Amino acid sequence: MAENVSSEGQRYNFTIVKWFSICAVIYLVVGALVGDIIAWQLAFPSLNLNEYLSFGRLRPLHTNAVIFAFGGCTLMATAFYVVQRTCGVPLWSDKLAWFTFWGWNAIIVGAVVSFPMGWTSGKEYAELEWPFDIAIAIVWLSYMGNFIMTLAHRKSSHIYVANWFFLGMMIMITYLHVVNSLAIPVTMTKSYSIFSGVHDAMIQWWWGHNAVGFFLTAGFLGIMYYFIPKQANLPIYSYRLSVLHFWALMFGYVWLGAHHLQYTALPDWAGSLGAAVSIAMIIPSWGGAVNGLMTLSGAWHKLRDDYVLRFLVVSLAFYAMSTFEGPVMSLKTVNALSHYTDWTIGHVHSGALGWVVMVSVGAIYHLLTRLWGREIYSVSLVNTHFWIHTIGTVIYICAMWVSGIMQGLMWRATDDYGNLSYTFAETVVAMHPYYVLRSVGGLLVLAGGLIMLYNVVMTIRYGRPQTASAQH
Amino acid sequence: MAKQDKQPQHAPDTGHEWDGIRELTNPPPRWWMISFHASWIFCVVYFILYPSIPLVNEATKGVLGWTQIGELNEAVAENDKIRAPFLKQVAQMNGQQLLADDGMRNFAESSAKAIYGDNCAGCHGAGGEGAPGLFPVLADDDWLFGGDIDTITESIADGRMGQMPAHAEMLSPDEIGQLADMVLAASEGKATPEQFAQFNDIGCSGCHGEDAAGGVINDLGNGAANLTDRIWRFSNSREEIIRTISYGVNQEDVPNTRVAIMPAFGEKLSPEDIKMLAVKVHQFGGGK
Repeated sequence: MAENVSSEGQRYNFTIVKWFSICAVIYLVVGALVGDIIAWQLAFPSLNLNEYLSFGRLRPLHTNAVIFAFGGCTLMATAFYVVQRTCGVPLWSDKLAWFTFWGWNAIIVGAVVSFPMGWTSGKEYAELEWPFDIAIAIVWLSYMGNFIMTLAHRKSSHIYVANWFFLGMMIMITYLHVVNSLAIPVTMTKSYSIFSGVHDAMIQWWWGHNAVGFFLTAGFLGIMYYFIPKQANLPIYSYRLSVLHFWALMFGYVWLGAHHLQYTALPDWAGSLGAAVSIAMIIPSWGGAVNGLMTLSGAWHKLRDDYVLRFLVVSLAFYAMSTFEGPVMSLKTVNALSHYTDWTIGHVHSGALGWVVMVSVGAIYHLLTRLWGREIYSVSLVNTHFWIHTIGTVIYICAMWVSGIMQGLMWRATDDYGNLSYTFAETVVAMHPYYVLRSVGGLLVLAGGLIMLYNVVMTIRYGRPQTASAQH
Repeated sequence: MAKQDKQPQHAPDTGHEWDGIRELTNPPPRWWMISFHASWIFCVVYFILYPSIPLVNEATKGVLGWTQIGELNEAVAENDKIRAPFLKQVAQMNGQQLLADDGMRNFAESSAKAIYGDNCAGCHGAGGEGAPGLFPVLADDDWLFGGDIDTITESIADGRMGQMPAHAEMLSPDEIGQLADMVLAASEGKATPEQFAQFNDIGCSGCHGEDAAGGVINDLGNGAANLTDRIWRFSNSREEIIRTISYGVNQEDVPNTRVAIMPAFGEKLSPEDIKMLAVKVHQFGGGK
């Protein structure tokens, strides 16, 4: 198979990368679909048809589908691809890679069944019950083990920066997942956390924020560090910058979870520690964005007709924006307004839709041409996808900004007598138009996903074979 | 290096290459390095100002003396300062006095707005419009137990649970049908003396009054509905009226009985809150 051989004649296992990539695109569509359904449910509660399809059960399905199904498959596809190509060796074990593939997908199928059934541990972004938690740990270790062993057999003396980020993400996620999932099983579908009260809340958000910080940031920075220079065919701007921001993120991120628990039973010191380190993470986060963007300095014209590169670069803009917004929201005074409002949801989605999805989509379009050795079926559809996704994301974020800030202001508003000005129901009424707007934004993102799925299928089936010179 | 080339792309690389990717030896941008150091300096300053470092027995307190509970108490105290003199008066005044005093009535309505919205509006509607067949309208002048301020206060504090016996086993289907026709006719003022006679004979008048005008007009205090107006507690369809007569209201062990319970808020809300709520309900327009 020609497509399993690099230009230097090295044999790689690209079949596993292909399958993970295809899964990622399918899960993007599924995750966006469920997300948009629950967005409409929030705008029109009568769309909660029965208990299996109610918001409370579909919401974890949405978050798990986008984070672990879409995000996970993207990370597995790209890490397995990047580690092979940058180390110049094939995967350490093909069998283990297939175990990871089937195991991960089996867990995803399990999630599709268990959330509508209402089986949940109630831990945000870790709702799957204990048998699944054990399965996740095993499959995850198979992924990490294969990655590490491939690195160990590398031909290069140094390890490329993308692989640092992938490896950092894998190690951190392993212990975050294990500690957060510690629980006492009661039945096959129910367990109770071994932590209680505010300890449980702190452990939960230590995991919750680092699912964002490592799974959705470090891992995807790994993607950025390979696919931007590769797609642009330019060298990375600064080695020293990558070292500095890598270690700053690794040391800093784990402290952030406490900022999710400002003004709760969590002791004051933990909250301020979380907030201060959050602020200190802006510049290390921007280090990644700067390094990616400066890589393109002097070559911005490439963006004019390279739509794949455009996805990758715009993702960095969203990344820089949301890594500024998050720390600001963690400050006590801002948090007092923003906490529990839709602003948080808007912030998460500027990171998720703007950064994670766009960098992934760029990487997958890049992979499409390299793995199957074909030209993209329709470049103009990639362009359409870019615009429809960007507009959908901006609509979503703006709707939630307005809705969230308005919600926070209405909750705290008092009249001349010092009495609350608004009832809770009035804030819900005020948010309704923005909920509809958000659903429309989500619909555009979903439409973009469907366009991509179509383009991927058509490329694989009917794409023109690439000329040899186009393949790097 | 004779002349520094400012183009970042022209900097030398690190000498490594991975799959065709090289890394250049550019230093991080100056603004980035300055901000990077400012970041950890910010942390140090923040740690000095705010409680941040856990020690053996307790955490550092921070030189600002800030605590989250302190911040909350301050914010609450600010509002309480305005509210306290009013609340003191609310405690001392009865409902009638609150209604009579313009300033106190305005305060009570402002105060009760959120209390009503968060506790009452779910059933009775944001404007007291009720829900047809389920929850009574508060904005009209038709009352089951009474629309004066004291009775409204009592309804909120102690709740209400009116009773109507089930007649399915006492009366024949024909009789129940005739009574339903009477009730429909009475609502339009067209009930005949014969119909009233049957109404009295069966004993309906015991609760609804001989004129069928209900417990409030007849001063019976039993919550029996006025059957001579066109305001319906449950429904004006003949079928639904038959159901009410047959299975009654709030009858234990009667499967089809109407459930019509107003919960008691006396333990959930303070006496002052309840008094102010009563003012708000009274001011919906139907208060007497």
